[in-house]
Formats: sequence, structure tokens, C-alpha cells
Amino acid sequence: MAILSLQSVCKEYSTDGQSVRALENVSLDVAEGEFVALVGRSGCGKSTLLHLAGAMDFPTFGTVSIEGLATSGLSDAQQTALRREKVGFIFQSFQLLHTLTVQENVELPLLLAGKPGALEIALERLHWVELDGLGERYPHQLSGGQMQRVAIARALVHAPRILLADEPTGNLDTTTGTVILDLLLRLTRERKTATIMATHSHEAAAVADTLVVLRDGRIAEVTRR
Amino acid sequence: MAESPKSRGADMVRLELFYRLMVRPLLHEPVRLALMVLAVALGVAVVLAIDLAGSAAAGSFHSSMETLSGDNDLEIVASGGVPESILATLATQPFPLRLSPRMEDFAVDLRTQETLPLIGLDLIAEGRRYATRRSTLQDTSLEKLTGEESARMLEDPQSIWVSAGLGKKPGEHLSFLINDQVRDCIVRGVFPDTSANGHAVLMDIAGAQRALNRFGRVDRILLKLPPDGNLDEWQERLRGVLPAGIEVRPQGTGTEENRKMLEAFRWNLRLLSYIALVVGAFLIYNTISVSVVRRRNEIGIVRALGASRTDVVAAFLGEAAGLGLAGGLLGLPLGRVMADGAVKLMGATVESLYVSSRPGAIELTPHSVALALAIGIGVATFSAFSPACEAMQVSPTDAMAQGRREYLAQMHKGRDLAIALVLAVLGALAAKAPAIAGKPLFGYLAVLLLIVAAAYAIPAFVYIVSRIAAKSLEELFGVEALLASRSLAASLRRTSVLVGALATAVAMVVSVGIMVGSFRQTVVNWMNNQLPADLYVRPAGSPAADRHPTLSPELLEKIRTLPGVAQVDRLRAYEISYDGMPVTLAAVDLTARRARRQSDFFSGRPASEVLEQLRGKNNVIVSEPFTYKHHVKTGDTITLSLGAARAYFRIVDVHYDYGSERGYILMDREVLLKFLPDAAPTNLAIFVAPGANAEEVHREILAAAAGHRILIFSDREIRAEAVRIFDRTFAITYALEAVAVIVAVMGIAGALLALVIDRRRELGLLRFLGAASRQIQKMILVEAGLLGLLANLAGFILGYFLSLILIFVINKQSFGWTIRFHWPVEVLLGALTVVYTATVVAGLYPASIAVRLNPLEVIHEE
Repeated sequence: MAILSLQSVCKEYSTDGQSVRALENVSLDVAEGEFVALVGRSGCGKSTLLHLAGAMDFPTFGTVSIEGLATSGLSDAQQTALRREKVGFIFQSFQLLHTLTVQENVELPLLLAGKPGALEIALERLHWVELDGLGERYPHQLSGGQMQRVAIARALVHAPRILLADEPTGNLDTTTGTVILDLLLRLTRERKTATIMATHSHEAAAVADTLVVLRDGRIAEVTRR
Repeated sequence: MAESPKSRGADMVRLELFYRLMVRPLLHEPVRLALMVLAVALGVAVVLAIDLAGSAAAGSFHSSMETLSGDNDLEIVASGGVPESILATLATQPFPLRLSPRMEDFAVDLRTQETLPLIGLDLIAEGRRYATRRSTLQDTSLEKLTGEESARMLEDPQSIWVSAGLGKKPGEHLSFLINDQVRDCIVRGVFPDTSANGHAVLMDIAGAQRALNRFGRVDRILLKLPPDGNLDEWQERLRGVLPAGIEVRPQGTGTEENRKMLEAFRWNLRLLSYIALVVGAFLIYNTISVSVVRRRNEIGIVRALGASRTDVVAAFLGEAAGLGLAGGLLGLPLGRVMADGAVKLMGATVESLYVSSRPGAIELTPHSVALALAIGIGVATFSAFSPACEAMQVSPTDAMAQGRREYLAQMHKGRDLAIALVLAVLGALAAKAPAIAGKPLFGYLAVLLLIVAAAYAIPAFVYIVSRIAAKSLEELFGVEALLASRSLAASLRRTSVLVGALATAVAMVVSVGIMVGSFRQTVVNWMNNQLPADLYVRPAGSPAADRHPTLSPELLEKIRTLPGVAQVDRLRAYEISYDGMPVTLAAVDLTARRARRQSDFFSGRPASEVLEQLRGKNNVIVSEPFTYKHHVKTGDTITLSLGAARAYFRIVDVHYDYGSERGYILMDREVLLKFLPDAAPTNLAIFVAPGANAEEVHREILAAAAGHRILIFSDREIRAEAVRIFDRTFAITYALEAVAVIVAVMGIAGALLALVIDRRRELGLLRFLGAASRQIQKMILVEAGLLGLLANLAGFILGYFLSLILIFVINKQSFGWTIRFHWPVEVLLGALTVVYTATVVAGLYPASIAVRLNPLEVIHEE
């Protein structure tokens, strides 16, 4: 069964009174343990699709469902609760809080959700991403690859069903990028998350189970491997 | 040299660039911009208001007694009045002098309760003079005084002439309270006001003597010298023919003495008003610092594109000057409005503690306007200088090194703490130094050094306290508190400046609160010990430090014989000049019971023993402020001019006194009567007979005083009245504190807004990570609360030390009062709670902005 389902999704934005359609009639199902790569030019709608998938935004038309629950019509609090339970985000520029230690960064989603045992879980996630012993460091004391691992650990700390990664290797060199992709793939398999990764990189896209090509807000091509 | 079109064009380009790069970004944050401009405006307004009000309140007494004093050169005065025989002495000398004897006192208009100067002149002589020289006094009624009809009018003791400003017409009847008597008067004529606040009532000198019940003496003789007369030579010549106790001095010396006396009061008030400006300076510094940090990348890019270092520094100084100019312009009308309130408060204080005064007109002169703008622009550019220089140091490559500035701030904590310690030690040393020309200049320096020391110590303080508090705060308020405390500690520089600004305002509240609270408690304790009698009587009318209206001697006799009265203690006070400063000379009966609970003397001896030393001898007690002003001590001999005589008096002890800042000299009534044989007392202290009811005696006295206007107070009422006057006196300091706190809180609101805008990406990220709106809101409010807590804590510590300087250095050296330290716990708790609450409330708007941020937009911003 699909964990994430987008059915005939359209998304329009209004800019200076002009309506701009960012996504048009997009349908996509992502199953647990599936790694999907979204590719396409800048402005083709990759980030918009990720935001809809992560319940950060609502579709203008169509339905986005996470484990069968439609995100449309959810209140702000319900959206927040859904993200806390089901969704993990990874960003191109890591987006770590520089005022917090590595371990505190990883704990953060659990603390925001008011869940107990955050420290133990955070240390475990750091072990998953092979950063044992670095929990007390601050982000600026880490390399770019290490920072992205911390971001992945943070995205996984609450055991989300969906992992959304926006250009996770965009700020990394090729070797480090490959390591991060391998890690994402491994964790997707092990944790049975539905992972969607937006990327410009063909090398990155090559590791995915499913390749979705977006063009002008529409799905132009879907390749399942 | 004419400017070339090319250079004009370059200037226009620079202006256009300045608008694009500096002004436009500011306009994009209108609320923050408005808060900053308003903060500067308030600082400027307070300084301007105090300056304007000070001039109006303190300058007014000039005209009150100088009304109709004309163009004379010298004046002859004597303590207790100049004997009329002196006039005869002068008239028999072959001197080509014009003599104008005057009676000078006060009358209360019973309809308006306004206290007006009452001037008695020789109207026949003056009338003739004015008739020949209409430019000075244009009233026709006085010109006609040479006629028979007018002469009769003059002899009528009801005849008065009033200044035009009072709005009276000839023939109108007015009732005046003069000493303890009500007198019905008829307005015979109106004369033009000599200035806006020169309202006065004029009588013929004989009528004035009758009304005031003072015969055989005049208060002043004004002298007009011949056109080629030398002031010094004439003073010497006149001294040669006058008795030793009579003083010859340039006309208006009394006004100058009063002005000198008020200097300390005005100085201290002016310096208090600068505190709001200091707080404003902190905030400008913060604004420009934030501006520099935010625009590091921009600076780098602009530098890479060809801007010189000078261009960069000029741009940031220009931004600050713009804020200062806007603040100055807004501060002008604000200051003018505030001055209205300030002048009322200051006027009342001047009258209670110093000299009879009616506030003059508040004049917004070109000088005041220039002052306001100069302060606004000056303080703003001065505060911006350091951050602007830092901006100048940014190299194109440095621009990308984010966080370096904060790192530097953290790295310098230890060094800054060492500087703070050195400054604090220097402050302590400055506090030990004596006054210079009667001004506690080193005391002010000590305050300044401590404030700067605190500013240097605050980064370490913030770092340590936020670290220590972080864990407990997290336990108390959850993850939002952890984020807030980390954020504050991480942006240590910005946090420190904000904490410094608010802490300065809090320190002012605390220090002035402790000083005033200690002073109040000292006065209350002193009064408990000072008022042994059951009832106190004085003539009706509002009191002033230099007005000593008298009670009729026959009333005294009536009160003395009342059955419930055991004893009456008389006090007579005179306004005299000692060593070029006004002083109160008082004489008391030494027969009454003065069972004080504790000694109020420097020597620690009981009052009975000290007072006994005064009996029948040329011995005096002086008040503590007197010793400070005139540098005398127990055992010293002072020379007093009393009537026509000059006599020597030995100081047998010094009395702690909080009744008047001008200082007083106390002697035996019998001794004073030898020099000034006027038996009328100014105050009575009445001891009720054993078994008699004080309220009953009160009623009996009122009945006995029919035809007299007097006020009777119980000891409790007199204490309450004194406390009321005390609180009124310090009301202006509370107002100044409030403005400083408002400025600081507005700064906090502006800075939190900047913090929210700068951290919008972080706030957006938190939404991605599952933070709810209320958690974001809570985080900003906790941050505001933490800022408030840090500032309150730092301000409290700084305020405590400042209060010690205020009490034991500045107050002592300015006014000469010994104040005993007292913690006004309720006042401090109340003030700190208000400041803390205001800080948290200041976070509400930034918090609402934080909640409204769109995470999708901000997360992708670079």
C-alpha cells in the first residue's frame, strides 16, 4: 500500500495578482521502502511537490494523502501534528541550528513534539548515520558531509513514514554526495520509509528505485527500476 | 570656489546610492524604524523638556522681586530689614544719588490662591519720576499721583496698583492674605507687566509697612548712581558711611544668589535627563551594529564593486545621522509638550525647597531647536561610530565569513571583563574624590565609569547567566526556552547591547528608587524625632522656602492663655544672605519641652544640652547643608549682619536637617531680638496641657484666631504634608525614569523584531521540524523574558552601586544631606515587575510577526 499518494494534484500560486500554476495534474504513489528521485529543471515544481508531500502546503485541486489521511482541510495544528509523526525533511544547505550541539539538533523534533527519551533516540540516530561520539560538537565544527548526516539523523529521529530530501547532495562534493546517497538508500530500506528526493544530479537520481521527471509542473516520465 | 557640475553629479549619484542601499532597506521595516526614531525622539525630548522647564521654573523668580526695580545700580540690604534711619543718613550725605526704598513681601489673592509679590514703593517720588519718564511705567493713574486727590488715595491703606497681567480694572475690590490678616484692597490703577511672569501688587511704602506690620524698616534701598559713577568706588564710599551690618551690593545680587543656589538642583536634574539619552545611544549603537552584521555580505559585494572604506563608514554614519535627525525633529514637539508637565513639577519643587517662584513662559528658542537637533544627530552618530568603523574593516572576502563577529565578541569576554574591573576600580576611586566648586564632578564621573564598566562586564554576565539558567529554563519552559537562551547566548554582542541598554534604564530606576526611598525614610525618621509638640500654627497661604509670613503678636497672647494650652514655643525665621548665598535664620524659645528620642546633632549630644548652650549667648546651631555650602564646622565662628549691626556667632553644633536645602542658622530668640526687635513669630509649636484634648484645643485656637487666617496642623498632619511635598519633589525623577524605561523597552521591541527578521529562516525551519505556531510565539516571548531577566539582574546590581554614589557622594556634595541607606523593597519590587512585564509585552508584536512568517518562503532564502 502506498504511504504517500498524490492524486490529480494541482497547485496554483498567486503572484502580484497573477495566477501561476506550479503543479498540474500530478499523480504519484510512493510505497514504504521506496526511494523516488524527482528530476527536472529549476522551477519545474520539484520543491512544490515536496512541500505538498510534507503537509507544509495544500494542493489547489486534487488530493494528497499520507497513510490514507488527506492533508487538505487540516488545521494548522493538525498539519503540525502530522509532520511531527510522519514526515522528515532534509535540505540542500543542511539547515542545522548553529546555536545547538549536534545531539541537540537531532533531538529537536522530539522535543518540539514533547516526546520523552529524546536523548537516547538522538544518540541512536547518530549511530545510524555513523556519527557516534560527535554529539557534543557544534555544527560549525563539522564537515559538510557530517552536517548532512546530522540533518538525516534529525529527519529520522521521530521515525517518520515519509522522508523528503531537497537536493541533499547539492552542497557536497561528488564523493561525499555518493556516501550520503548510499546512506539514504540504506536507511530507506532498513526503516521502510517512503523517500522522495528532489535533485538535479543524474548520479543521484541513478540510485533511486523510481525516477520521476517533472517538466513545467507535469510528470513527463516515470521510470521504475 | 564654485562647485563643478561634475562633482554635483557625483554627489547626486552618491545620494541615490545612499537611498537605495541604506534608506530603502530601512523603509522596508517601518515598525522597527518607527520604534528607533521614537526612542531617539524620547531621549531628545526629555533633555529638551528639562532644559526648557529648568529655564522657565528657575528663571522666574528673577522678576518676582525685581518688579518695578527700574534701572538702578546698587542696592542696600540688611538681614531683617534696613532701618529707616539709613535713608536719613544717605540723604544727609552730599551724594548725587537717587534712593528708592522698597518693602518686599508676598500677598495671597484669596480668590485665585495665587501668591503674588507685594511691593511697597515711595509712590509720590516714583510717580513723579514715572511722570517724567513714561517709557518705564506707562500708567496714567500713577502720573496723576502728584495731585491732591491722588495723594489722598495714596494715604488710603486699601489702595493698590496691580500689574496688567492680572487682568484687573481700576475700582475692582480684591482680598489679599498678608501674613495672617485678610485685607480688602481697591485697585487704583494698572501698570504694564515688566515680563511675562512679572505679576505683582504695588502699594505705597507706608501702606505696605502697615499691611505687613513692619515699621521702621524697609527691605531694600535701590540706588541710582550718577551717569559716570563707578560701581566699585561707590560701594566703597557708601560702606564708609553705613553701619557694619548694612550691605551694599550691585542690584539684583539676590537674584544671582538664588540662581547660584538652584544650580545644583538644575545640574542634577539635567544629568538625570541624560540617562534616557544614554539608553537611546545604546539602542542606536545596537541598530547600527545589527545593520552592519546583517549587511556583511552586501558590504563585501559593494566593496568588491568599487566602494571605498570611507564610502562604507559614511553610509553607516549617514544612516545614524538620519535616525538622529528624524528623532531630533520629532523630539522637538514632544519635548515642548513634556516641558509643560515638567515645569509644573519643577516649579513646585523650586518653591518648596528654594525660592518663591512662578514658572515663566516656556520658550522654544532657536537655541533650543539647535540643541535638540544637535543632541539627536550627535548622539546617534557618536553611537554609530564604532559599528561604522567595523563595517569599514569588512573586506570583500571577509564578507563571506559568517559568524566571525559573534565569535570575536565571545572571544573578548575575558578581556572586556578585565576592562570592566579596571573601570569599576577607577569609579570607586572617583567616588572618593571631593567636590569641585561645589559640584560633585567626580561623583558624576564615578557614575559614568560604573555604567561603562557594566557595559563591558555584560557580555560575560550574559554568557554565564544564560548558560547557568539554560538548563533550569528548559525544565521550566521546555524546548522553546532552550532555543531562546541559546539564541541569545549565540548572538552575544547584540544581546549584550540590548541588556546593557535596558540594564542602564533599570539601574537608574533602582538607584534613584533606593536614593529616594532612603531619603524618604530618613526624613520620616527625622520628623518623628523633630515634632514633639501637639499642634503647629502658621499663617495661611502656600509655604515656600524663602517666605516667612508672621503671626500677629496679639494672637500669640490669646493662644497662650487658652486653658488647654500648656506651653507655646515661638519660631521666627528670616531670609538672610550669608557668604553670597541665601540662608534661613531662625530663632526659637529655649523654654519649651523638646524631648527628642534621639540626638539629631553631629556631636550625638542630647538636644537639651546643645540648646542650653544657645541661651543668651552669641552661639548658633547650623544645619548640615549649611556646613557643606559654607565649609564650616562646630567650633567655627561666623559673622552675621543683623539689622545695622554685624555680630560674631560661634557654631556649637551641627544639626541633621532635611527641611530646606538652603541651610539654616538657629539661635536663641532672646539673642535675635537684641538685633532685630520684631516680636512677631512665624510659627508656633503648641504643647497641649496634660489631660486636655488636642482636637478641643485645635477648635479653641481657631475660635481665638477669628479675624486671622492661620493654619493649624497636628504633628501627624505636618508629617503627612511633609511627605506629600517630598513625593511631589521627586515626582519628576520618577517621570524621567519612566521615559528611560519606555525608551529601553521600545528598543527591546525593535531589536526583537530585527532578531525575528534575521532569524526567519531558522524560524521557518522549526516549522518544518514540527514546531507549532504557539511554540514559535513562546520562544520569542521567552527570549524577551530572558532579556528582561538579564537586564533586571544586571540593572539591579549596577543600580545598587549607583545608589551608593547617589546617596553618599552626589547628594552629599550637591546638597549636604546625610541620608541613611534603606531598601525600599516594595518600590523596587513593583518597579522591576513593571519593567519585566513591559519587556515581555514588547515581545508580543515580534512574536506575532514570527508566527506569520511563511516557512516555505523563508526556508529557501539565501
